[in-house]
Amino acid sequence: MTNPVFYEEYVSVSGSKIHFIRAGSGEPVVVLHSVEGNLGWLPYLEPIANRFSVYLPTHPGYGKSERPHWLESVSDMAKLYIWLFGAMGLKKVSLIGHFLGGWIAAEIAVMCPQILDRLVLVDSAGIRPHNGEIADIFLLGEEESTRMSFYDSKQVLGYSDMFERDLTVEERAAKLRNREMTARLCWKPYMHDRSLKNLLPGVSVPTLVVWGQDDRIIPVDSGKQFSEALPNASLNLISNCGHIPHLEKPDDLSNLILRHLFHDK
Amino acid sequence: MFLMRFTERAYFHYSEEDVRNSFRSAVRLTFSNSNFNPRIASEMYNYYLDEYEYCDEIGFDGLMLNEHHNTPTCMGAAMNLEAAILARVTKRAKIVLMGNPLPISDNPVRMAEELAEIDLISGGRLVSGFVRGTGVESWATNTNPIYNRERFQEAHDLILKTWETPGPFRWEGKHYEYRVVNPFVRPLQQPHPPVWVPGSASPETMIWAAQHHYPYVFLEADPDVVGDAKAIYAEAANEAGYSPGPQNFGYLFRVHVQDTDEKAYEIGKGFLSGNAGVGRVPMPPEYMNPPGYSSGQGMDRLSKINLRPDRLVGGVDTAGYERVVNLNRIVVGNPDTVIRKLHDVLSVVRPGILAVWTNDGTISHKDTMRCLELMHQEVLPALREIGDELELPGPFDREP
Repeated sequence: MTNPVFYEEYVSVSGSKIHFIRAGSGEPVVVLHSVEGNLGWLPYLEPIANRFSVYLPTHPGYGKSERPHWLESVSDMAKLYIWLFGAMGLKKVSLIGHFLGGWIAAEIAVMCPQILDRLVLVDSAGIRPHNGEIADIFLLGEEESTRMSFYDSKQVLGYSDMFERDLTVEERAAKLRNREMTARLCWKPYMHDRSLKNLLPGVSVPTLVVWGQDDRIIPVDSGKQFSEALPNASLNLISNCGHIPHLEKPDDLSNLILRHLFHDK
Repeated sequence: MFLMRFTERAYFHYSEEDVRNSFRSAVRLTFSNSNFNPRIASEMYNYYLDEYEYCDEIGFDGLMLNEHHNTPTCMGAAMNLEAAILARVTKRAKIVLMGNPLPISDNPVRMAEELAEIDLISGGRLVSGFVRGTGVESWATNTNPIYNRERFQEAHDLILKTWETPGPFRWEGKHYEYRVVNPFVRPLQQPHPPVWVPGSASPETMIWAAQHHYPYVFLEADPDVVGDAKAIYAEAANEAGYSPGPQNFGYLFRVHVQDTDEKAYEIGKGFLSGNAGVGRVPMPPEYMNPPGYSSGQGMDRLSKINLRPDRLVGGVDTAGYERVVNLNRIVVGNPDTVIRKLHDVLSVVRPGILAVWTNDGTISHKDTMRCLELMHQEVLPALREIGDELELPGPFDREP
């Protein structure tokens, strides 16, 4: 399927409108975005949308989604998503989460593992590395943290349009809002939760942990800890790849995800 | 007119080169404290305190202090300690804190206690200013800048209640929770020490200050712009049922006096050189503006009032010294020149509180003392007359 049909929809939860994009058909796969906001439909999702119904929600407080006034933390976010899935009639979902989205996915798994079929954690936040630290994207600033996110930006299709173009006033305002929401959720403890690692052994959901081998935002060590704590997980490293595999190595990531979603089925 | 004197108590024994070679070439936040020489600083803290004691002796109404963190541009990281020292060693002048950054405190009740002690030891001379703090303060103390405004308001409300309401009481707020607020130290001044609010014309802060009858002290704002900014305060004041006057406004700017115009001009260059990084070497924008810091609403409000942009692009610290002096944004000269220029500025700005920032950067202690001496002999008496002539009552002459 090239050119899938997209649906852009809203669901109301806790009095707030939550935006999402939907495409494909089949069992539901929900993709949870990271700090940049909802990047929309990306090429790596096409093979997945051939076999699954893919949902791309925008987290409350980002982009077109409203934030319920009480929602201040990743834990709050995970609870809202469990509520949202119910509101959307999704009884069992697979989750793909990148960085912040991975942390949210892991929290959902810890709270409500029975609603999950498969879990994919891509360069996920949530666990502090044993060696080094998670890069402080706030202190580094936009430009530097973007630069550090890639192993080789030339591998990224449309890099110039995504990261080098002059933004419109509206785009800059939207970017600022996203950054503020990230600060609200992730400020301290920075990008991790102290309890999470200890709760993961209770999550037997089959999990794929994928990491760019050259991730300079969150070290591979965090990925190792995820895969060691989860009883039913495997760690896959993508070489010559930084923090955002879906932009730098979309085909590699697609293949890994598809194999995982179909494994033992 | 209430006359107070200010200095940032800068540590300036480093070069612009040092700043350029440091992490992200920033003088604030990340400029290593390995550049801090404790022996030199020990001497500096003491001569800065000597200057303030002298200001008390020569008749300044107020001694103004400020607080910053992680920066050589101001060594007042623990401003309340300096205030406490002055509370004991000075006799007359008010001790004006401009101000305690509220959001960075995790314990506003402790702050209420410290300020009460200062007020008691000084015999009721504290003026307790409160600020949001710059972005750097949030980074340095790791308080989430998203909550800066909420914490400012809640901490303020808690401190005021701690001073005014007999304990014990309980406080279950969003950011602060206390089971037993009951400090056995209450301020001398009743109902509480005066609160003033310094700032750079942030509309939200001005409106909040007006609603509370707190004088707003403009920090080096362009005089031509102050009038429009005052209108924002006045509108909020009118809604709160009163008309503000000079007693509701203060103005801080750099003033240096020497025996001759030439000498003052030369020495005045020190204002802009010691603090090499400030403005001279541009700081990463996120240092002063972490996420959530700047208010979109504030900017809208400003443009509605049709403020003209500051004629000094980049502000006092970045623009050329000559231009800054020509525009009277820094006033330097012999006593007559300074008095004349101050008269010009005060006629336009009309504050009931004047803060003269007499030294900063590389201006030496010796030159500062001569400046203060000349102020004592000639400038302060003239300022008293100007205050009367222009009818500029201060907040202790007339209720704000």
